[in-house]
Amino acid sequence: MIGEGTQSTNQRRHNYVRENVDVGFFTDPTVCIGCKACEVACKEWNEVPDDGFTWSGSSYDNTGRLGASTWRHVLFLEQDRQKGNQIVGSSGDGADPFRWVFLSDVCKHCEEAGCLEACPTGSIIRTEVGSVFVQNDVCNGCGYCVVSCPFGVIDRRPEPLADAGGAFKCTFCYDRQKSGLVPACAKVCPTESIVFGRLDDLRARAHERVRQLRENGYGDAQLYDPQETSVRGIHAFFLILGEPEAYGLPPKPEVPTIYLRSAWLSAFATMIAAILVVFATFFFFA
Amino acid sequence: MKAYYGKRATAENDFGYNWIPKITDDHSFFEYLYAIADGKMDGMFLMGQNSAVGAPNSRFQRKSMAKLKWFVVRDMVEIEPATFWRDSPEIERGELKTEEIETEVFFLPAAGHAEKEGAFTNTQRLLQWREKAVDPPGDCRSEAWFIHQLALRLIEKARASNDLIDEPLRALDWWYAEDEIGEPKMEAVLAEINGWHTDHVAAVADRGPHGGVLFPQDRQGQSHHGPQVADYNELKADGSTACGCWIYSGVFNRDGVNKANTRQSRDYLGHGWGFAWPSDRRIIYNRASAKPDGAPWSERKKLVWWESEKWTGIDVPDFKPNKSPDHIPKDGQSGLDGQRGDAPFILHEDGLGWLFVPKGLQDGPFPTHYEPLESPVRNELYSRDTNPVVNWFTRGENRFAPPGDPRFPFVLTTYRLTEHHTAGGMSRFLSHLAELQPEMFVEISPELATDLKIDNRDYVCLVTLRGAIEARALVSRRIRAMQLNGQTVHQVAIPFHFGTAGPLRGDAANDLVAISGEPNVTIMESKAMSCNIVPGRLPRGAAYRDWLDRYAPQSGPPNLHPEQPPPGAPTGGKFSRGQGKHGKAE
Ligand code: SF4
Repeated sequence: MIGEGTQSTNQRRHNYVRENVDVGFFTDPTVCIGCKACEVACKEWNEVPDDGFTWSGSSYDNTGRLGASTWRHVLFLEQDRQKGNQIVGSSGDGADPFRWVFLSDVCKHCEEAGCLEACPTGSIIRTEVGSVFVQNDVCNGCGYCVVSCPFGVIDRRPEPLADAGGAFKCTFCYDRQKSGLVPACAKVCPTESIVFGRLDDLRARAHERVRQLRENGYGDAQLYDPQETSVRGIHAFFLILGEPEAYGLPPKPEVPTIYLRSAWLSAFATMIAAILVVFATFFFFA
Repeated sequence: MKAYYGKRATAENDFGYNWIPKITDDHSFFEYLYAIADGKMDGMFLMGQNSAVGAPNSRFQRKSMAKLKWFVVRDMVEIEPATFWRDSPEIERGELKTEEIETEVFFLPAAGHAEKEGAFTNTQRLLQWREKAVDPPGDCRSEAWFIHQLALRLIEKARASNDLIDEPLRALDWWYAEDEIGEPKMEAVLAEINGWHTDHVAAVADRGPHGGVLFPQDRQGQSHHGPQVADYNELKADGSTACGCWIYSGVFNRDGVNKANTRQSRDYLGHGWGFAWPSDRRIIYNRASAKPDGAPWSERKKLVWWESEKWTGIDVPDFKPNKSPDHIPKDGQSGLDGQRGDAPFILHEDGLGWLFVPKGLQDGPFPTHYEPLESPVRNELYSRDTNPVVNWFTRGENRFAPPGDPRFPFVLTTYRLTEHHTAGGMSRFLSHLAELQPEMFVEISPELATDLKIDNRDYVCLVTLRGAIEARALVSRRIRAMQLNGQTVHQVAIPFHFGTAGPLRGDAANDLVAISGEPNVTIMESKAMSCNIVPGRLPRGAAYRDWLDRYAPQSGPPNLHPEQPPPGAPTGGKFSRGQGKHGKAE
């Protein structure tokens, strides 16, 4: 926590991989300052290339979305709504409200992960700390994961790399974690808007933060951590102000494989029908 | 003087005082810029600055560079001042021609901050040491290396001459030992700044390495000095001690600990982390944290207090150690003794904090309101619009629009983006930062966008009397119109980091900004000016000048503002043009 200095879970060394502890990211936009240090640290550590120099005209966001070469993405949301007890308008009567919200988005590391379910090569695995990890030397670039992620996180590079498969996303800095280091984005976040730590601690802390914010005028503060859907909870969860749709977060994300049962059933039914038709035809002409 | 000239500084020659170069005129930034533009200055070293992008009126800055005979630019990347002669808006517009520029430009590669060691200081007076992480690549070297190597070469030249003007160089005691790549030992420089006894035979009981003598040998391996002084109280005016800069004395004394390089805070003021000048005092005037009777105002925030007949505390007391809280000066006592024991602001002669400032400030005694030099509205508070002692730096290339000029109806302000660092040399050239803010833009309110019939992402031109630039419109409700004196005034805002060198190309915001100087320390007014916005793209090439002349006529008198003095007239405050020559401004 801010104020704990080098003893903060964002700074101190840990043993989570060896201890098989579920870890997570809790990202809180109410303290994010939109500095994008997380985006840059992520790219620096993971040697991810730039996405090209294109100016978007969409607030201060020139990265656009998560993708093969953007594993942290800071979203800039301009809304005609009030933020907490913020005094807006020249009269301060709440007329003409406006707020600017920053949220650093990332792979959610789902409890039930669409990409992992869809991967035919076994390239995508779950690690000791509960994160979802793509083994690039195993990945063959088929792209099934890309369409199976309910959040649109994982993607392929336009130009595949010579020595790695096609699909890329946040690694939860698994390499750093194995050495007891904190993921790069959390390590550099100057306001601890991104907090790294034990998932159970983070969830408790997040609930406390929502309570605190609600008490202080942030009536629309809530957690985004869908546990009721087939995704069954996410390891990188968020505090949001207002509705998830505004942040590009699906209100009810589902893992596509839940449709497998009905898909197989209908496939089976189709097959029976086809056989019957063939037989019927045969008898008809016989 | 002993630190400058070593053994050559003696009581007989007034410790070499006459060798020190004397200030002949005001040589501050804008003054020498004008001297360059007028052909009165031949050469310049530019280090750690990019005045072609980051300084006000950058168009004029770039054009002035072409008047130099020689120009040394040191930077980590090839920044605009290094390329103005072949790749600049002025070359493209035909205002400068490469074949006509006589400037000899030297571009030297500089080491980055992780590639050199040394101390840096900040406005908190904290001196912090930085260790070198890696050697700089190729021929890149630190500024210290450059100054050191330049000094060695100049001294050698001076020794070969017998011209009297070279005497100060011949007299210099330039002794610093070097490392393998020719970098001077920066800790030796810090030790000299701390100060030492000049007598080689130690007269003081010593601790630490070499009996309290740090870096005892010069480049020739000769013994160079005696033990370090503990702090500035040990300095003497008789030549028996030398000190590079008394305020830092104590930072590296005979205990051998480089205090700028300590990283263990002992208390909430951070003692043990770096060194705060003077004497590691973290908060100046800390006597004010105690009541007149010497007890702390607050137990939680106490700094110093009076206890057993002396000042003590968490911080180093900024007060005479044994001056009791009830001290009343007697007649004839002056200096610190002339101040009362309950008067903490010891640098003011009465020891008190001042709200009414009768002297020192050029524009005191009270803060007040004047309009910016360029403003769409008049000053409602006074009959004057602008600060009467401000320095306008009046010049044809540096015009100001008069108040309410209908040609420039909008207020323009400039600011920084977190993604870029000042003039961009350390950020625009890095892909991971460049992609985050890749293009020059201007923030405009939806109302103004509607008035101007422009959409988000459209190109627009911004024009002031100094120049014109092109930017993309970023329409946002974050920018609001102001109601000033019953009139709606629209404000627009631009970042200032872009230029023509490197992977991103964008116009420099400072092309629009005027050179001016507030009267105390000559800070320019770069946050408020008036401008016009013209939808569409800015003509490139020679057409630019006709376009500019249409929207911002470049001829006529240089002092368009009614309160602006004509060129050459005395204006401004203490350090400004004319003060030395013409006496105080009207
Ligand atoms: S580093 Fe932290 S404060 Fe900065 S943009 Fe990322 S989440 Fe926000």
